Amino acid sequence: MTDSFEPSGADRVSVPARSSIPGHDPRSMRFRREREAEWAELESILDRAMTRGLSVLHESELQRLPLLYRSAISSLSVARKTAMDRALVAYLESLASRAYLAVYTSRTGERWALVRFLVDSFPRAVRTMLPQLALSTGLFVLGLAVAYGLVRFGDSEWYFAFVDPALAGGRSPGATTEFLRNGLYETDAHGLSIFASFLFDHNARIGLVAFALGFAAGIPTALLIFQNGLMLGAFLALYDQHGLLVPLCGWLLPHGVPEISAILLCGAGGMAMGHAMLAPGARTIRAALTDAGKRGAVVAAGSVFLFLVAGFIEGVFRQTVTSDLLRFAMASFNASWLAAWLVLGGRLPELRLLRDQLVPSTKAGTAP
Amino acid sequence: MTEDRNGDRIVHMITPEGADLVFALATVGERAIAFAVDFVLSQLILIAFVLLGLAFTFVTTSEHVLALAVIGAFVIRQGYFLFFEARLQGSTPAKRLLGLRVVSRDGARLSIESIVARNLLRDLELFVPLAIGVAPQQFLGPAPWWLRVPAMLWVILLVALPFLTRERTRAGDMVAGTIVVRVPKAQLARDEAEGTRARIRFTKEQLAIYGEHELETLAELLRKLDLGKASDDDLRIIAEAIARRIRFEGREPTQQPDLFLRTFYREQRTELERELVLGRRIADKNERKDRPRGPRA
Repeated sequence: MTDSFEPSGADRVSVPARSSIPGHDPRSMRFRREREAEWAELESILDRAMTRGLSVLHESELQRLPLLYRSAISSLSVARKTAMDRALVAYLESLASRAYLAVYTSRTGERWALVRFLVDSFPRAVRTMLPQLALSTGLFVLGLAVAYGLVRFGDSEWYFAFVDPALAGGRSPGATTEFLRNGLYETDAHGLSIFASFLFDHNARIGLVAFALGFAAGIPTALLIFQNGLMLGAFLALYDQHGLLVPLCGWLLPHGVPEISAILLCGAGGMAMGHAMLAPGARTIRAALTDAGKRGAVVAAGSVFLFLVAGFIEGVFRQTVTSDLLRFAMASFNASWLAAWLVLGGRLPELRLLRDQLVPSTKAGTAP
Repeated sequence: MTEDRNGDRIVHMITPEGADLVFALATVGERAIAFAVDFVLSQLILIAFVLLGLAFTFVTTSEHVLALAVIGAFVIRQGYFLFFEARLQGSTPAKRLLGLRVVSRDGARLSIESIVARNLLRDLELFVPLAIGVAPQQFLGPAPWWLRVPAMLWVILLVALPFLTRERTRAGDMVAGTIVVRVPKAQLARDEAEGTRARIRFTKEQLAIYGEHELETLAELLRKLDLGKASDDDLRIIAEAIARRIRFEGREPTQQPDLFLRTFYREQRTELERELVLGRRIADKNERKDRPRGPRA
């Protein structure tokens, strides 16, 4: 071997004209030797962090990860520019990509994630879509008014256009006042919680689909909300004809407050998507849709909780409590906590600020 | 560039450090398989849970247990994907098996909102077309034609969406701003230039004939040799062909083709990398033709 006789500067620009320098390693090989240990260290960290998240790493590894990541990125850049070894470049691309996913996209488990979602994210998301909520409420009320008007003042046969006879269970224009009244004050003692959970399952599914249907420019969602309004309007008209409007409201409102709110909220989420598709404004349709869809998803997911509450009030409370007074008390109780939740939820910092402004003495009092 | 060397469709993501990273998108087929496996798995969990719930109901004779089982079933049905995508860094058990991962298109952390959104829309994408396909009359009801036709078109569009979009986004991905990529997993192969101490010398001219493409072809041959997938005859034929082309005089190509090829690979790579540092990337032998430094053949 003649290594020792050759000039050792592998970095020199001019090389002897006649012969190559045998025994000298390719640059990329030396480069690889210098950095390989670091790559292996990064890889061993990534193998654990990729699926289980960063929380499985030790503190020392957590400190090393960003350094090793940046080193891998720089290795990749160097290799792309100086290495003629495609396997090496491919490896570094894969390593750097995995490290990127671990460093920038890892999800860390949040404590109390569900509680925070309900207390904070859900009411916030609801407040971002007030116009859509107004629209879905408007459509619902419109449906209600139309059906009420047609059934009450027009031909009562209209009733069957809005209410599926299979669902009505005999509650139709031909029924006697006695029959209708008994239906409202019927009590039951068995299988209530099962009934409640089935109601929850059924309603929550419909609510979630109502949101998802918003992907068709919000049109099916709007139709669904309108149709729900029609159905309720027809019921109101039927009972009103028999002078049972107040008892019906007592029967309906305790669970109706959370349930109808949940349906309107899911509808608002779906219509927000429709709104984004039809009128994206300055953004691309895609960007507007993603923004609306994410907020809508939070609203729809939070509504599931409302459906759960509604299901249990409908399945248990309604079947056991027959006093109109208690029923209306329950309805107003539900309306107040729901309103407080949606208006105040996620506003704790603002509330603190407000308190400090209104009562400056509390600050002075706590100062040492 | 939308496809890489293996023909996979790719997306670029620029890191905050300014490096351009490339991810291969999962194919529609891979995603369908992953979903099928996940669906079966979630149904098995659901069945096991319901059986357990029924058993408990029977033992305790309490209706409340059954009620809880109904709610639990809802949670499993809606929560399976949600739970795993949130916990397993954007992959479900089946996605993990297939090496797939949901990532946010903007390269940021996958938010819980995105996970909820993409999974809420899945029901729609899957079950609405199924319901319409199985029982169109019942599902669409007495809708007039002007409502029925756009509804059908929309359903077809919904199903075809992953095939139509460049990034293979289904409706849920579009709403959530996500894509599904393959988690990269290249192994660092042995460096083929490693471990050969050269006893064969090549002149500057001999190393000025081939380019990167030929070098890479040679590297692949050497890798095959490591795996025992190349015979000595193959090596000899190739070694002799190279020797003829570069006018190498000596008996190594015939007697020790292995050593000759390894040494040549290493010397050629050293030389090409030296050129690369000087700003000359020589792609292949054709690129040499118009270069003044090439040999006069």
